Amino acid sequence: MRNYEIMFIVSPDGTEEDIDKINGQIEGVITAGGGKVDKIEKIGKRRLAYIVKKFREGAYVLFTAQADGAIVKEVERRLRVMDLVIKYLTVRMDDDMKRLDKIKAHRQKRAAHRSRARNEGGDRRQQPPPEQMVEE
Amino acid sequence: MAIQKQYYRRKKVCKFCVERIDSINYKDVKLLSQFVPERAKIMPRRISGVCTPHQRLLSDAIKKARNIALLPFATE
Repeated sequence: MRNYEIMFIVSPDGTEEDIDKINGQIEGVITAGGGKVDKIEKIGKRRLAYIVKKFREGAYVLFTAQADGAIVKEVERRLRVMDLVIKYLTVRMDDDMKRLDKIKAHRQKRAAHRSRARNEGGDRRQQPPPEQMVEE
Repeated sequence: MAIQKQYYRRKKVCKFCVERIDSINYKDVKLLSQFVPERAKIMPRRISGVCTPHQRLLSDAIKKARNIALLPFATE
């Protein structure tokens, strides 16, 4: 199981109910394949940066889900078939999340190290003056 | 003696390193659009001063954003 973000644009002709219907279908596909939908976010109407299928604006929807390759393939196939969906993008997020966790852990370690050095700096070693210890 | 003009050039710093922005997300149009000038090209490092690892993440994010029509590929 991997974390994915699936974003798609529904054409401005689609009503709120249409969007809900599409969301329901996609959610069904994901859960049927053994995945899990974490979040469905309706970002709402936005002007597109360029013309897509003769539309200048569209309603964005963002899915955050745990899925695997087969599910993503099926979801993308469904999205391709739907007339109201004018564009979609799937992004794998777990690598990015792993990287962020690593940075966060590293930063915490460094912060802890620094505060310890500041507190004990004077007593532990006499040779380097305390100011230097504080600096780094 | 030095006739050569002394230009004072401010050292450019990487915005992402300074502000400790870890995640460069393709959805963050406000952040990304700072690095796409008028013609919608990706701003080179030599101008923006972004460090290499962050520039790599940034260009990836911009390309993703272009794909989903959050950012333009080109402007007239």
